[in-house]
Amino acid sequence: MNKIRITRRTTMAGSVALLANPAIVRAQADPIKLATLTPLTGAGGPYGPVMAKAAASVVEEVNKAGGVLGRRIVLVSEDDQTNPEAAVRAARKLIDVDKVTAIMGTWASSVTTAVAPLCWESKTFLCTVSGADSITLLPHQGYLIRTQPNSRLQVTRVGEFILSLGAKKAFTMIPQTPFTQSTFDVLNQVLPKGGATHQSLIYDDKKTTYRTEVDQALRTSPDVILANGYTPDTVVLLKDLYRAGFKGKILGFAYSINQKLVDQIGQNEVVEGVYTFAPSSAEGGSAYEKVKVAVGSANPDPYTCQVYDHVNMVLMAIAVGKAASGEAIKDNIRKVTQGSGKSVDNAVDGLKAIAAGEKVDYSGASGPCDFDEKGDILDCKFRYEQIKGGKFTLVKIA
Amino acid sequence: MIVVQALVNGLVSGTLLAVPAIGFTAMFAVLRFPNFAVSGVATLGAFAGYLAYGAGLQMAGSLAAAFVAAGLAGLLFDKIAHLPLVKEGALPAAIASIATGLVLENVVRLGFGNEPRGYDRPIARDVFFGEIRVSPQQLETMGLALALMLAVFAALAFTRIGKAMRATADNPDLAALKGIRPERIATLASLIGMGLVGVGGMLLGLDSSIDPLTGTRILLSLFAAAVLGGLGSVPGAVLGAFLIGIAEELSVLVVGSQYRAAVGFVAILAVLTLRPRGLLGERAF
Amino acid sequence: MLSYLLFIATIGGIYGLLALSLNLIWGGAGMVNLGLAGFFAVGAYASALLTTAGQAPIAAGWLVAFVAAGIAGLTVTLSTTRLREDYLAIVTLGFAEVVRLVAANEIWLTRGTDGISGIPGPWKRALGPDFNGVYFLIVLGVLLVVFFVVRRIDRAPYGRALRAIREDAQVAEVAGKNVLRFKTEAFALSAAIAGLAGALYGHFTSYIAPDLFLPLITVYIFLAVASGGTGRPAGALVGAYLVMALLESSRFFVEGIPGVTAVQRAALKELLIAVALIVVLRLKPSGVLPERIPPAPRSS
Repeated sequence: MNKIRITRRTTMAGSVALLANPAIVRAQADPIKLATLTPLTGAGGPYGPVMAKAAASVVEEVNKAGGVLGRRIVLVSEDDQTNPEAAVRAARKLIDVDKVTAIMGTWASSVTTAVAPLCWESKTFLCTVSGADSITLLPHQGYLIRTQPNSRLQVTRVGEFILSLGAKKAFTMIPQTPFTQSTFDVLNQVLPKGGATHQSLIYDDKKTTYRTEVDQALRTSPDVILANGYTPDTVVLLKDLYRAGFKGKILGFAYSINQKLVDQIGQNEVVEGVYTFAPSSAEGGSAYEKVKVAVGSANPDPYTCQVYDHVNMVLMAIAVGKAASGEAIKDNIRKVTQGSGKSVDNAVDGLKAIAAGEKVDYSGASGPCDFDEKGDILDCKFRYEQIKGGKFTLVKIA
Repeated sequence: MIVVQALVNGLVSGTLLAVPAIGFTAMFAVLRFPNFAVSGVATLGAFAGYLAYGAGLQMAGSLAAAFVAAGLAGLLFDKIAHLPLVKEGALPAAIASIATGLVLENVVRLGFGNEPRGYDRPIARDVFFGEIRVSPQQLETMGLALALMLAVFAALAFTRIGKAMRATADNPDLAALKGIRPERIATLASLIGMGLVGVGGMLLGLDSSIDPLTGTRILLSLFAAAVLGGLGSVPGAVLGAFLIGIAEELSVLVVGSQYRAAVGFVAILAVLTLRPRGLLGERAF
Repeated sequence: MLSYLLFIATIGGIYGLLALSLNLIWGGAGMVNLGLAGFFAVGAYASALLTTAGQAPIAAGWLVAFVAAGIAGLTVTLSTTRLREDYLAIVTLGFAEVVRLVAANEIWLTRGTDGISGIPGPWKRALGPDFNGVYFLIVLGVLLVVFFVVRRIDRAPYGRALRAIREDAQVAEVAGKNVLRFKTEAFALSAAIAGLAGALYGHFTSYIAPDLFLPLITVYIFLAVASGGTGRPAGALVGAYLVMALLESSRFFVEGIPGVTAVQRAALKELLIAVALIVVLRLKPSGVLPERIPPAPRSS
């Protein structure tokens, strides 16, 4: 019923305007609705708000430049509460009431797995940053892409990096997450091949001190420790490692060891020399610089970069498909992200090129953004940084 | 050796846990309902202390700020939301206090967002005694906690107000007959109890970081400590906190850290089955 | 819009079951269950595991969910029924946390934090897009059956005995009621209903994970029962739908508040729920539908 009303209004607006000026048709058409579904409360709370902000910045820029297909973009931001139950309700509302064509930025793997069936059943496109291997194996019929390298790929590279640091005895400290098991599996394979041993410990991410856990780890006299939690618990862990006088190398993921963590610890020698690791765009990629400005941070986390890419890719796919529908995005997203087109790093430039009939190849803030048929990224560079004097300095991108 | 080290670590975290546990159990003794708002109040105290410390106050001054902010917030909600419901039984008041905890958590979230914050406190390397290491800062925090506990015990034992509180907790009717005004005692219990909970939130946050969920994280350990010692018993809460602190650290060695939160639950079930009134009984002090 | 409403009505029905479960013990016997989310989880996992890994028919899954959560309820109450209700509150809170820990850590059984996906829905393939409508009717059917059973209990001598225990357990004991047995039975039945609700939830959305069973859902149900009126099954149902309406409509009106960030909007929403619970308890403790205590039949 609702559908009929909208159609009729659109038709009427169109036919009236057509008489006057074709340009007005486009201006008055219904806006294109997109959504972010990020964790604004709950365990993902430190990440979701910035992600929503990055997404909004892209939409604002594109609207300023005239929108897509002559239509304005409206971005609806819902909170998934880091909770699949709340996420499912929010997604239902986004799909059925707002009638969004794409949902972007789902963070927790459990949220993505819960929301994905609603999306493919309703032909709504889903872009996620969740890393659990199982996600792209869901029967999503092409309605899902993920910009986060799956955890196997990431951990394999982490393992190789640990070996390149000259590790003989590595130790992993990690809370219970969907990556925990695959992290152990991969490292137990990769590290022994390179001549290093690997031991690990699962900790409770709600504890206020990890002294005993640190003791347990140090008892094995490791030379490299992989601190593989999220920001709040990693803060505590790094402090306790420093207190215990750990002299070896520490490595962690950039989503947890970031500028916020450094600020919070507030004492540079605690984090001096810590290595961080993140999927990354090629060196000198300009999209990453744009994200820095958009969210006002010198060190935006990988999730923020990824959701920035989601919005850019989705908007260009809509432009190429000439329709604001999940199906159009599904059919065209790979046409704007890979291939031999003109290399672009933002939707505004990309949309201009598309309007001029050119092909585009988006290369984003989180990486080259090329996807295989399952929706996993094909290839990804990783950015290795090291904290020196409280600042993140680039070690290499490889 | 690692066991001894775990015992030491447990003793430290137990001492910090004892402060809010005393607050919680003292309120229970006088007001006769379990105040679940301690989660939100501990968070509020931690943030009040954070603001004060950031504004340049010394540690003692910041702890005082945490105490006052948490105490006043606790008192306010007791007056407007919880105590009027106690007449209908402990449960409606307890349920309202869960909502209060959620209110305070989200007030903090409104003001500060979700990002964890840390007190700008120098982090020092541990000092070794033989093979056992202790952190000088944790010793300092522990000292503060112990001093605070001593002050509470002294106040309860020697001041007129303290004696009146104990009398009310033991037998409200008799206390009222003796001319002790129950309203005033209730006010004091809310203020001091929640003040201690706020200080506890700050003490536990000092070495880690604080965010809107800080209080929620310690909730179960806190309850476990109070129930273990006997709900309403102040020395019981201290004993319970030490035991829970030590058990949680030892559990890391035995079952792994991921089941830490279950330790409190198992302890509660065991105590309730074997010694239903807690280790030291329900008598207040 | 219709499919959204249908979806919300179905989830509302599942909340309704949870509200009936809580109402049975809170309104009935004056006990609380802060671990509602835990029993909900036990039921959801029991049924999901049985029908995915165990390949059992869905109906069998639901039955097992009911029984498993009931047994869990029995275990939890046995150690605390002799004590004041405060202890039960704390123990149940801990119980829910332990259930979540087990679900997250015992990967061999529960697939850990990955959760269980692909939980079958009844006739899902054959129904296609009509699945949501049919499932709503199923939930409604279960809800009505449970409702009439609970109301029957409420009005039977059994319900009067429970209320007597709620008002004064000692008097009830003196009057020859086996207080311990009454309380344990009521709690087990209540837990079983929560478990059934969990099973219904899992087969509806096809996915469950430990994150689903956070304590916040328990707060929602308390708000439902308090606002609908403790002690009256119809009140619990009305309350569940009121809460659902509040939860979903708050999405629409907080969107309109200018000058607040996304986090602040989310905080305001939770704040609203919490304040609503306090206000209801304070100003209208009897709820929308106050308790009616039917007169005891005259002895002939």
